[in-house]
Amino acid sequence: MGRYLLKRFILMFPTLLGVAVVTFVLIRVVPGDVVELRYAGDRGAVAQDIIDAERTKLGLDQPVWKQFARWIGGVVRLDFGESMWTGSPIWQEIKLRFALSFQVAVMATIVAVLLAIPLGVMAALKQDTWVDYVIRVVSIAGLATPSFWLGIIFILMLLVVFRWLPPMVYTPFWVDPWENIKQLIWPALAVGYRYSAVATRMTRSAMLEVLREDYIRTARAKGLLGKVILSRHALKNALLPVVTVIAIEFAFLIGGLVVTEQVFNLNGIGLLFVQAVAHRDYTLIQALVMLVAGCFIVVNFLMDLTYAWIDPRIRYR
Amino acid sequence: MAVARLPVPESAEVRAPRTTRRWVAVTLEFCRTRPLGTIGAAVIVVMLSAALFAPVIAPYDPEAVHFSAMLMGPSPAHWLGTDPFGRDVLSRLIFGSRTALTVGFAASLLGGSIGAVIGVATAYFRGRIDLYAQRVMDIFLSFPLIILALSLVAILGNSIPNLIMAITVPMVPRAALVIRSSALAVREMAFVDAARAAGFGHTRIVLRHMLPNVMAPFLIIVTAFVGQAILLESSLSFLGLGVQEPTPAWGLMLSGAAVEFAETAPWMAIFPGVAISLAVFAFNLFGDSLRDALDPRLRTQ
Amino acid sequence: MHRRSVLIIVAIVIFGLALVGPSAAQDKPRSGGELVFVVPSEPPSYDAHQEETFGLIHPTAPHYSTLLRVDPTDKTGTKPVGDLAESWAISKDGLTYTFKLRQGVKFHDGAEMTSKDVKASYDKILKPPAGVKSLRASAYASVQSVEAPDAHTVQFKLKWPEASFLLNLASPWNWIYRADILAKDPHWYEKNINGTGPFKFVEHVKGSHWVGTKFADYWDKGKPYLDGYRAIFMKSAAAQVAAVRGERAHIQFRSFSPPERDSLVQALGPKITVQESPWDCLNFVSMHHEKKPFDDKRVRRALSLALDRYEGSNALSKITLVKDVAGIVVPGTPYATPPSELEKLAGYGRDINKNRAEAKRLLKEAGVPDGFSFVFKNRGIEHPYAKLGIWLIDQWKQIGLNVRQEVIEASAYHPMLKRGDFDVAMDFQCGFIVEPDLDLPRFVSTSDANYGRHKDTVIDDLFSRQSRAADPEERKKILRQLEKRLLDDEAHVIYTLQWHRIIPHLSKVRGWTITPSHYLNNQLDTVWLAE
Repeated sequence: MGRYLLKRFILMFPTLLGVAVVTFVLIRVVPGDVVELRYAGDRGAVAQDIIDAERTKLGLDQPVWKQFARWIGGVVRLDFGESMWTGSPIWQEIKLRFALSFQVAVMATIVAVLLAIPLGVMAALKQDTWVDYVIRVVSIAGLATPSFWLGIIFILMLLVVFRWLPPMVYTPFWVDPWENIKQLIWPALAVGYRYSAVATRMTRSAMLEVLREDYIRTARAKGLLGKVILSRHALKNALLPVVTVIAIEFAFLIGGLVVTEQVFNLNGIGLLFVQAVAHRDYTLIQALVMLVAGCFIVVNFLMDLTYAWIDPRIRYR
Repeated sequence: MAVARLPVPESAEVRAPRTTRRWVAVTLEFCRTRPLGTIGAAVIVVMLSAALFAPVIAPYDPEAVHFSAMLMGPSPAHWLGTDPFGRDVLSRLIFGSRTALTVGFAASLLGGSIGAVIGVATAYFRGRIDLYAQRVMDIFLSFPLIILALSLVAILGNSIPNLIMAITVPMVPRAALVIRSSALAVREMAFVDAARAAGFGHTRIVLRHMLPNVMAPFLIIVTAFVGQAILLESSLSFLGLGVQEPTPAWGLMLSGAAVEFAETAPWMAIFPGVAISLAVFAFNLFGDSLRDALDPRLRTQ
Repeated sequence: MHRRSVLIIVAIVIFGLALVGPSAAQDKPRSGGELVFVVPSEPPSYDAHQEETFGLIHPTAPHYSTLLRVDPTDKTGTKPVGDLAESWAISKDGLTYTFKLRQGVKFHDGAEMTSKDVKASYDKILKPPAGVKSLRASAYASVQSVEAPDAHTVQFKLKWPEASFLLNLASPWNWIYRADILAKDPHWYEKNINGTGPFKFVEHVKGSHWVGTKFADYWDKGKPYLDGYRAIFMKSAAAQVAAVRGERAHIQFRSFSPPERDSLVQALGPKITVQESPWDCLNFVSMHHEKKPFDDKRVRRALSLALDRYEGSNALSKITLVKDVAGIVVPGTPYATPPSELEKLAGYGRDINKNRAEAKRLLKEAGVPDGFSFVFKNRGIEHPYAKLGIWLIDQWKQIGLNVRQEVIEASAYHPMLKRGDFDVAMDFQCGFIVEPDLDLPRFVSTSDANYGRHKDTVIDDLFSRQSRAADPEERKKILRQLEKRLLDDEAHVIYTLQWHRIIPHLSKVRGWTITPSHYLNNQLDTVWLAE
């Protein structure tokens, strides 16, 4: 088991390095760079020597491999450098936005779990009845509705019907929990509903499979009450794939809520990424991608760990 | 990675006899046992015909500007109202289905096919090739879908073919993963060894013997991806990074003016939103039922 | 139902416009309160000498003073008044400008402001030290030297007389920094704030907000009226509107779109006041003069003749940020062309059928076949670019041209123009003060921003003559000639419609006047909040 996990752990690094290389090369293929953009304002062109000087200052005149070496050297020491657009340290640009995105992801996951588990279990227990159909339709509808559309309707409803507006500025949870919740609950609900769809389906099918297993039948035969069977036996075993799906969705939520952030006016990681791409802020893009991909890779590793721990057969794969 | 551990489809090697009667029977059986899937299929058929016959069905030219008819509510002349340029919303929706379906089908077929070839090939060769291919897939899987698509659009520019490319790329590793796990089981089957013993080349074995046997997961993946691709296209268009005016596209119809006029002209926001939801909904319903029909054990995904 | 609601809106708008007029001026300013405004963009660095975005001006201008500024009560935004300068004199030959500075002006760190600081700031703008850039050095090419003969006198010596020089010194970008700090570290102001403006810096939380508080030692006693202000960074337009509508923010200083204005007016009624102005921003169409058939002025003229500018103005002003049919000078400002004159230009005539028949004739003459197709490149920005694009393509269709639009992401757009990688493309410019010397240099053949690459010595000559013309009437006449040459005879570029700035704000915001530029009038010293 130790060897398997060690292998898994070590494999994380080439993946991260690959992500770094791909990002580094990709963004340099995009036409236009930060300097040109910044000094190509509405009034027309800036003299070429100013542009050249600025490029030299940012190291953009160096060959790509040299730039990469310098950057990765910093990353190893956890120094992501400075934003090319604002000149401030990357962590300063990211920290508040990451806190926000992370929190929305957590809250949305909670919403998704609260919706998915009861609905999925119910659908499985009442398989192929109208209850099952309704639950399936509702959850697929969640998957089908574009989150930006849902968001627009949410906001409009709050404003027009209830004449109420969520707070405009992000207040960290530890500063003012109530203010914080008031702002983030709406996107969390919209996203949570959407992502509960996958988890509901997972729960349903996992439950169905477990219900067919022998020991449940035995338990039923022994005359145990339905509720006890459910909580003690069925749920526990059905949970593993469900947890996997939820964990992976969670990892994607941190960086993947671009459109939701736009609609709900959240200054999160997703929108920052869009802005960084628009500014060709290479250092910021790189840091963001590493962060988001890093989260995903770590969550995946943790899931592997859990699997290996719960189900020893995995180790021999 | 834990993303997709699919059991092998049992029905994989069963080939349906190619007779018309058999097809009708299968279809009828599908309709009887899977009412939800049938509804999905019906919506898809309606959409396909709308896209196909758009110039005949659509009451107006979707791109012609008529300021005299700007922002009119639903009426007999304009069933779903008009936009600020006096363009008929219904006509734009009908023509927009072309964009959605083109991008949806092209991206999912392309992504599914490339993914299938990679998945089957890595399962067949195993060893080092598999290991390296998996690492490359891991790298692409680590980017959230929208982030990868967004970066690609920035690089390629936003025409429809480029948009299809941008949506295809993130789909490839996802398809490859699913197909690979099915193909691993196919690889163990006797006929593959037989083919090798007979001295057939790798390409031939992969393409002729293994690929046809992962048809079921392939179909499932493709239908599931169509919906996703349509959503992704509309998200990108909504962000202003997808299809561009004056080309009619659903996501584009929802951005900008639809939000600004949401209160005075809600028809501009409601109908394209419904169209997107309905389309994705239909593909998901159909895909779900198809999966259940093709292989009951695949439900776990 | 819809038509009626539009009528109501129009009525309220008119009512609102009336409200900001004389009645607002009669009220006595009240002290206190915090102004909350939303900013659609965030500042890159804090040094205005090297930035070009309103995203810096809006939150940061209240911390600084400039030598001169544009009169905050002047709607045309063309009247220079003293800020740090108390008075000034211009020598007879127009080559020496002498400014007397106010005494007792303090920086936020307590140091006294003297002529040394003004000189150091202008030296940084005119001749930046190595490693520091200035975006505006070229705008002051006429300046020979800046001198500080005594602690409260600054002198500018020019190489040649320049009609627009005084206005150019009222640039909202030329913040006065402290000389000692600049001497120690010329980069200090990129990340720190220390000015003589009405408000002190409190904090900037990245991705969130910016806070300023009243500077007790501000030179203009009794001002500012506000206790402080809070700028909230908000990218989404819908969210900005919602913020004002929910009365969480008082104002946004850039502009809202017409439908956004209407929804605010409808929701808030008399609680909202709308100020509107022609905007010193413009979208014009550039055609590459080295590419066929756009090397032919008949084709360029035809493209301009195809536009029904008056119908476009009427309809598009309900949709997006454009309104007036205008020539090369912003309407309502001193050098603007009167409408009757304007109608004589190609494509500005009232009879659209006649114009289009003429356009078709010109195309035929130039050998351009019916259904000729080309690509129009546009910048990926909603207002007003995208809307104008839809309109232009439809207009060109009316003369038998088949145009496809290629939208390029805002960031990649400028490099594309610079490379000349286009046949026909949307071009743009925004000025900070309406002044031909500042707005028109890009049409000089040698300009870096002459993306259509026309070579026209007549234009070059007319431009330099208008710049040196001492008599305003004379200058007007030369400008008319330049306009006719640029837009009609040669049709080097096609002017679409003048941008239109729309600021709906809570009626309790007083003492702020709209100008044609979103870079102007953001020091907030005159702004106050009514009960």
